[in-house]
Amino acid sequence: MERDLIEYIAKSLVDDPSAVSVRTVETEAGLTIELRVAPADIGKVIGKQGRIAKAIRTVLSASSVRGNKDVRLQILD
Amino acid sequence: MEYEFEARTEEEAIELAARELGLSREQFDVEILESQKGGFLKKGKTRIKIYTTEAKIWAAEEAPAARNRVSAKDGEAKILEFVTGLVERMGYNCKATVLFREEQKLGIRLDSSSAAILIGKKGKNLDSLQLLVNVYAGQLGYGNLRVILDTENYRIRREESIVKMAYETAEQVRRNRVSVLLEAMNPFERRIVHTTLNDIVDIETKSEGEGLYKQVRVTFRGKI
Repeated sequence: MERDLIEYIAKSLVDDPSAVSVRTVETEAGLTIELRVAPADIGKVIGKQGRIAKAIRTVLSASSVRGNKDVRLQILD
Repeated sequence: MEYEFEARTEEEAIELAARELGLSREQFDVEILESQKGGFLKKGKTRIKIYTTEAKIWAAEEAPAARNRVSAKDGEAKILEFVTGLVERMGYNCKATVLFREEQKLGIRLDSSSAAILIGKKGKNLDSLQLLVNVYAGQLGYGNLRVILDTENYRIRREESIVKMAYETAEQVRRNRVSVLLEAMNPFERRIVHTTLNDIVDIETKSEGEGLYKQVRVTFRGKI
């Protein structure tokens, strides 16, 4: 599931994996994945100029688990 | 124990293997897996497999210079596990093996029946996976280690096609006396263009644009 994928990536990249939480919201436009991490870890999932966030989104869009749905990733603070 | 190495020629590959494993030439058997002769404009490539009964390889290196590599070895398993787990959660089967070990560099080969998707358009997906793996390695404490992901020899094939394209573009620029702006490329790929055309005296290359993906402009600067 796309939730597992995001959770797996986030937990592998942060200092505090226990603070990682992933929520999925289904709308008619598609699926939105909301990712929350510890405030100190936000930089680790976004990266300089959003490089890491971009890579996560690319990997997400390349995954087959999403099927043909439109999946969006939001990183919340 | 089995290891794989890759270099431009057979001798270079064997030399690399001996150096990396800390063994002398007599201590291992070599099998040539793949051999491509280099030609004009083209780098050769040879992949070999090393068989050895020497079990002490990593432990034998007690020299201070080797300490880095020994500690990297612990992380190596974790890094391989991370890549495999990542690709599997994307919904594809995947086997990750070490392709080469160099100082501060670790090459990983992915074998998957969905290799084409893992590469993506112009290697976009492979680059993203590689970035995440490098961030993960940094998080493990191997900040100086550069991890390179490859599948189906994509990196080598891509390099060859960029070199070819660079020469063809230079030829076209010289003929038409009009500069050409190449498609956007990442820093590594741009570097290949610059170094390839560096030796051609009447051609000049320059990067244009902002951000990670820039375009290279190839211009004629010889006598008219």
